[in-house]
Amino acid sequence: MQVTLKIFRFNPEKDRKFHYETYTLEAEPTERVLDLLERVKGYHDGTFTFRRSCAHGVCGSDAMRINGRNRLACKTLVQDVGERITIEPLLGLRVIKDLVVDMEPFFENYRKVLPYFINESPLPEDGRERLQSPEERARFDDTTKCILCAACTTSCPSFWASDDYLGPAALVAAHRFIFDSRDEAAAQRLQIVAETSGLARCHTVFNCTMACPREIQITKAIGELKMATITGKLD
Amino acid sequence: MASERNVSLLRGLRYKGEGPMLTFILHRIGGLGIVLFVTVHILASFLGGKGGQFINAIYEHWLFQIFVYFCALFHAINGLRITILDLWPALLEYQREAIWLEWAVFLPVYGIAVFIILRTALGG
Ligand code: SF4
Ligand code: FES
Repeated sequence: MQVTLKIFRFNPEKDRKFHYETYTLEAEPTERVLDLLERVKGYHDGTFTFRRSCAHGVCGSDAMRINGRNRLACKTLVQDVGERITIEPLLGLRVIKDLVVDMEPFFENYRKVLPYFINESPLPEDGRERLQSPEERARFDDTTKCILCAACTTSCPSFWASDDYLGPAALVAAHRFIFDSRDEAAAQRLQIVAETSGLARCHTVFNCTMACPREIQITKAIGELKMATITGKLD
Repeated sequence: MASERNVSLLRGLRYKGEGPMLTFILHRIGGLGIVLFVTVHILASFLGGKGGQFINAIYEHWLFQIFVYFCALFHAINGLRITILDLWPALLEYQREAIWLEWAVFLPVYGIAVFIILRTALGG
């Protein structure tokens, strides 16, 4: 089939404003949008710039707006989006070049929630791992799946309004550790997410959950955090 | 040098958030509509006289009533959905169904009201 790609282009060395360029390619319906981007770069315009690494939905580097909605280019088949495909960079971040955005505000918010395991207690007597039951592990299973692609945070109107907002991805990371029975810093993290730039800015729009390529129930995780900050309970 | 933050109201509105984002936008429009209604109401009483009557005529017009009723009812029902989901986060897994339910409640109630407003206004 013939596919028309309309791609957002911005070269900071030449352009004052972004523009769109259109490319027409032959493609199989079962090809991924990432394959088409590779072809544009390889055969049409070598200056075209985008991020990708694993090409298998694991590294989270190729989140972008495809036909107006955040997706991973490597997990989106041509047949799922049709023969006219518009490709644009994530919203709410600065564009460095073409589809490459400055992810620093995103990671800055991520770091704020202390996204690492904290436990200062001595190890168990046998000196080995800190055990936890399958039920305790299941409690935060969903939020362990995040690949930090930023599809959620950059689909959120609250984040568009202000990048001070922690955003769904940082809240997912907070959830992952707050509900981990082995971690000891839940109270500290709950305080961080309860600040005005945190949970209060989630208006249950649901864009994040729809955009997440890992199908994490983000709004639900945020809802559980909201409840935990109100009740002080982690069940 | 990178560009400015890549966002604007228009670009945000063009994001394809589908049903849930539509309810978010309508909720905001509803809120603004209610504020507008209350403001003109207060203004009309405050001004009184000819000016007041003129404003009264605007917000008592059936078109304005249909609009305000949409704002108030949608804001209320959508607000109720969000409150319920916020209080019982487990239900957030059924967010899509909750939105269908919301429309299923909203449309008949709103439809009946619009019918009555129109019948009164146009039917004499
Ligand atoms: S929660 Fe999902 S959408 Fe958000 S950064 Fe993680 S994987 Fe990406
Ligand atoms: S390239 Fe790694 S997630 Fe798509």
